[in-house]
Amino acid sequence: MKKVLAIAGLTWKSAFRYRLFWIMAALLLGAVVGLPLMLKDDGTAKGLVQILLTYTLGAVSTLLGIATLWLSCGTLAKEVEECQMQVVTVKPIARWQIWLGKWLGLLALDAALLALAGAAIFALLQWRSGRLPAAEQKILRDEIFIARAAVRYHPPDLSGEIEKRMRQRVKDPAAMDPATLAEIRQQITGDVRSSITEVTPGHRRRWGIDLHSLRERLGGQALELRVKFHTANPDPDIRYLTGWIVGPPNSPQQVGIEQRLPPDSFQEFQIPNVLDDKGILWVDFLNPNETSLSFPMEDGFELLYPESTFGVNFVRGLAIIFCWLALLASIGLAMASFLSFPVAAFASLGLLLMGLSSGTLSTVVEQGTIMGYDSAKGGYSHSPIDLVIVPAFGVALKIVKLVESFSPVDSLSTGKSVTWGELGLAVAQIVLLLGGVFCVFGIICFTRRELATAQGNV
Amino acid sequence: MSASAVIPADAAPAAANPASGQPVVAVRGLTKIFKDFWGRPRAKAVDNVDFEVRPGEVFGLLGPNGSGKSTTVKMLLGLLYPTRGHIEVFGHSPRHVATKAKIGYLPEESYLYRFLDSHETLDFFGNLFDLTSAQRRQRNEELLEMVGLNQVRTRVVGEFSKGMQRRIGLAQALINDPDLVILDEPTAGLDPIGCREVKDLILALARRRKTVILSSHLLSDVEDVCDRVVIYYGGRVHAMGSLKELLVQPDTVRITAPLLSRQTMEKVLAIIRQDVAAERIQIDNPTQNLESYFLEVVRQAKERLAETSGAISGSRVAAYLRGDAESAPETDKVLERLTLSAAPKAVESAPAPAAQGAPKVDQARLESLAKAAAPEPPSPSLSPPPPVDMDKANQKLSSLLGPPPDR
Ligand SMILES: Nc1ncnc2c1ncn2[C@@H]1O[C@H](COP(=O)(O)OP(=O)(O)OP(=O)(O)O)[C@@H](O)[C@H]1O
Ligand SMILES: [Mg+2]
Repeated sequence: MKKVLAIAGLTWKSAFRYRLFWIMAALLLGAVVGLPLMLKDDGTAKGLVQILLTYTLGAVSTLLGIATLWLSCGTLAKEVEECQMQVVTVKPIARWQIWLGKWLGLLALDAALLALAGAAIFALLQWRSGRLPAAEQKILRDEIFIARAAVRYHPPDLSGEIEKRMRQRVKDPAAMDPATLAEIRQQITGDVRSSITEVTPGHRRRWGIDLHSLRERLGGQALELRVKFHTANPDPDIRYLTGWIVGPPNSPQQVGIEQRLPPDSFQEFQIPNVLDDKGILWVDFLNPNETSLSFPMEDGFELLYPESTFGVNFVRGLAIIFCWLALLASIGLAMASFLSFPVAAFASLGLLLMGLSSGTLSTVVEQGTIMGYDSAKGGYSHSPIDLVIVPAFGVALKIVKLVESFSPVDSLSTGKSVTWGELGLAVAQIVLLLGGVFCVFGIICFTRRELATAQGNV
Repeated sequence: MSASAVIPADAAPAAANPASGQPVVAVRGLTKIFKDFWGRPRAKAVDNVDFEVRPGEVFGLLGPNGSGKSTTVKMLLGLLYPTRGHIEVFGHSPRHVATKAKIGYLPEESYLYRFLDSHETLDFFGNLFDLTSAQRRQRNEELLEMVGLNQVRTRVVGEFSKGMQRRIGLAQALINDPDLVILDEPTAGLDPIGCREVKDLILALARRRKTVILSSHLLSDVEDVCDRVVIYYGGRVHAMGSLKELLVQPDTVRITAPLLSRQTMEKVLAIIRQDVAAERIQIDNPTQNLESYFLEVVRQAKERLAETSGAISGSRVAAYLRGDAESAPETDKVLERLTLSAAPKAVESAPAPAAQGAPKVDQARLESLAKAAAPEPPSPSLSPPPPVDMDKANQKLSSLLGPPPDR
């Protein structure tokens, strides 16, 4: 461990000796203080704070991310090229210890810089919101400077219902063309889903959310409902009347609430905390409008409850960003373990860009081809390389999702809690799983590498 | 006078230096071929080399530039992996991590961290050896004192002059009090005092029964400190053995006498010519030392194997630099220089027999030598190599090229 720390200390020391630390710190602080001056907000305090958080955190992670990649490629590849590594590896230290030491050194550097930038952002937020009128401050406290966890509605399993309808509709599946069969199945699935999500005029829908594990924690505290619905007419200026009944069915505890809400965006309002004996919160929705409203299966209905303070949440958000940086450091080091400096830097930047362009990946995977839409044929053309590319992209997409499924910046700027569970998952997926893969790969390459093939020119 | 020397290449090394315990380093059939990106061979740096280094020995790797010395050293340290062959260091593979605690290495150039000062450098390497902080502090002090850098301990290594970097490199190599010290051209870039100090250091290590492997092309360094040497050319070993073994020429005889008159000389030559073909007789001053020996090995190696991946030694000084188109000295000219009738300068370059410690002619010896059909290994008392004297070499050079400008 002493040896690993000695190597890590070296990275740290070089960052100070070459003034890299101070330059990075100045850049980060510049971004935190300078960016907000150039930003245009929508005039409300909430909008200002949201945009502030989004941009400063985004800028800080981008800056640190690029610096981490660059440094991690540099610290290893340069030392191999300039032969310092030759003197280190003839000492009784294993190659994996050197590699790990480099990684830890970079992490320490990242942690220090991220903490510095985070503290600056936090201080800036406090300072700017402290000067707002009291009413505005209250909105901020209720909606942004808070950590609200979300409980989602878990939709029931629909496959039984779909099979039942399939059997009613298709008497003899063996006699039918598979393509037609698939089409019918798709149609039925759509029907079943919309029968649940869609609330036709004058009808009601009921959700039950199991909160029994949170009962004690919540006490009698009010909850917040976050809903989203679509209509046939996507005009955001129309407000639809919605009626809500909260509480155990047919009990005197039930409370009715009326809200006028716009479609296609998340809407939040308070509801009382009235659970039934089993700890389930029942919510009924009534649609008094002329058109049907449809609540999407995935995010149409969520319950929010205060989980923690903004400060704690902020730190957890930064910790997820730190997980990303740790992954970048291991990617950079892994590339530098077998490539020379400029090549390693470009290779890892390329990998990063590929990760960021997951949109393209998912389009390809969805369409099943890289050829794109062929308007002459009125469909998607296919090419033989699709056989290789599409599954490969599918795998790549899954990997990218492991990293990108976390959105600490979004959560922080909407007052949503970044839970400990989420943070744990981030550590497991980003650092341990993916970072570990790069780590093992890098260490294997580095161990097998001949370190004296470069003739130094120091 | 001496007849043509034969180089005992691939001579059995064990004769003079009886093996004492397990070898520290054993190398068998070692070959290194540098390949390019596509795996095509680019340079054969080391070619089927065998040698052993025994405990307590100072072992020299000699050879012209690019002959594979550093490559061999780097393979011993696990920095390069052999293409073929087998290496054992303290009975382990060179990549065995724990054995490295017993090794100290000075690379051919300063490969240290440029942003650390000398104190921090030693502290860092001390940490890699898991030394306690008290040990580190003490060794730090002593080493910096030894290499003469304690005045500049807070300056960063990147600012050091070449010789200073060499010194801190040497200190770094000794921080763990290694049992095996591998020095790649330790005196390169050092001032004369520094060179002397390094040589004294090597001798001191040898006295403490440490094993030293020294790679160099500075013959005086090697001659002063090494017990045994191998001579590389083009990646192959062309000679190996103890210095004593190598420098003795068992199949030649040298009669050393004070300078003779021209007539006597001619008479003697006439007698010898009756037995031996004229072109096999050589007359020179007895300066057989490592330098001439080395040059001879390289010359022969070049004849046998025209190809080396290293540097070809330059030929003589370019004609335009020498001023006149001096031709090679003919026997006559040499004779002139060597006989009494020559100018006083010749006297100066002639060796004083007493100083050389050459054997007196002894009747019994003469007889035994005369009847020996196959030369038996000569006992050291018969014809010991002339004592080391680099001044001789320099004088010889200056008599060839004229005096060095600074004298
Ligand atoms: N990394 C490398 N890639 C390709 N060829 C190399 C490499 N390292 C050494 N060589 C070649 O191997 C041969 C031996 O080189 P090496 O450095 O061992 O010589 P050396 O005996 O140490 O010479 P010097 O006295 O100049 O230090 C040379 O021809 C050199 O060009
Ligand atoms: Mg060398």
